[in-house]
Amino acid sequence: MVQRTAQYERAVHRYELNAAVRRSIIGGLDLPVDPDLVDDDQPLFGRGLELDSLDTLEIVSLMEEDFGVYITDEQRFVFGSVNKLVDFAEASQPALDGA
Amino acid sequence: MVEEKIVADQSSARPVALITGASRGIGQSSAVAMAEAGFDIVGFSQSGDSGNSETCRLVNLAGGAYVTHKVNVAVESDVRSAFRSLLTANGRRLHAVVVSAGITSDGLAATMSADRFDSVIAVNLRGTFLVCREAIKAMRKTGGAIVLLSSTSGVSGQAGQVNYSASKGGVNAMTQALAKEVAGLGIRVNAVAPGFTETDMFRRMDVKARNGLIQHIPLQRVAKPEEVARAVRFLATEESSYITGQILPVDGGLTA
Ligand SMILES: NC(=O)c1ccc[n+]([C@@H]2O[C@H](COP(=O)([O-])OP(=O)(O)OC[C@H]3O[C@@H](n4cnc5c(N)ncnc54)[C@H](OP(=O)(O)O)[C@@H]3O)[C@@H](O)[C@H]2O)c1
Repeated sequence: MVQRTAQYERAVHRYELNAAVRRSIIGGLDLPVDPDLVDDDQPLFGRGLELDSLDTLEIVSLMEEDFGVYITDEQRFVFGSVNKLVDFAEASQPALDGA
Repeated sequence: MVEEKIVADQSSARPVALITGASRGIGQSSAVAMAEAGFDIVGFSQSGDSGNSETCRLVNLAGGAYVTHKVNVAVESDVRSAFRSLLTANGRRLHAVVVSAGITSDGLAATMSADRFDSVIAVNLRGTFLVCREAIKAMRKTGGAIVLLSSTSGVSGQAGQVNYSASKGGVNAMTQALAKEVAGLGIRVNAVAPGFTETDMFRRMDVKARNGLIQHIPLQRVAKPEEVARAVRFLATEESSYITGQILPVDGGLTA
């Protein structure tokens, strides 16, 4: 049986948060993709999920509505991947951080 | 808490209009005009007025519900948190946004302090931008209408008002730019440019200056706030469904 250390709880929390963000984005954008099959390090724009500027508006709005995370173009880097988005979410919204 | 009134009323089929500067003047008259057109009203003002305010009484009389938030539109965090509580608490679609919060702080350019200049830009221009930014996100899926309050000073410039004229000229350009940017989302953006209108803002002017101005107005009188509000209502509702990016003067012929 896995020992439930703080690190383990933290990893589970992060795994669940990534999954929730993927579901929110894929669902909100109505993309024909299984959220569980999206790579957390895959770019959201360009070659990755091939999103456009209208999708940016949707992601920014969804992140605020679903997770209380506010994004402006100063944080453009968050669109690098789901992991970057969640890193920023945890940093800016301590309540989301499982630590 | 006042906000809860509208929460409890989530089932209401009445459309919702957000009006900044709703506590007084043109904002108050716009709230009443929109309530008469079947809207419930969410008001932003610096004082937050109250559930017992004159605006609340008049909106209720016109058949609308009224909820108020204390917001300094120049402060980003104020605007963001007001929108957040409005959207999460309310759960109802936002159909129209009227940006009427505005200030003057007149003086001659040569002696105007940078702070005096900035204070007017902060409320009239930055505040308008901050409200529009959140409004676009709130209306992104459903479309809607945004009406900004400009001024004839933003069209032709007014001596003694470089700060105010610049802010309203900025509002005019913002109206046109934003209209193009969000048309694809089904959001229309227009402005009303009142001339002199009988509100606290006008009453603060020097009496001699006020009387002198009237002789330059072809209709020979200042506007009542309700007359400006009717133009606001036109642009905020489906009555103007094919109009966007326009600045409508309501000025008794001043700029004709
Ligand atoms: N009256 C005119 O002759 C005239 C002419 C042309 C254009 N306009 C424009 O029309 C709009 C309305 O003017 P008005 O004559 O109705 O003005 P007003 O009677 O002086 O009322 C101003 C309103 O704006 C609110 N406000 C001011 N600063 C604010 C801030 N930082 N944050 C939130 N709310 C704020 C006030 O709230 P509080 O009650 O809490 O202070 C009040 O509700 C303004 O944009 C003005 O520039 C007016």
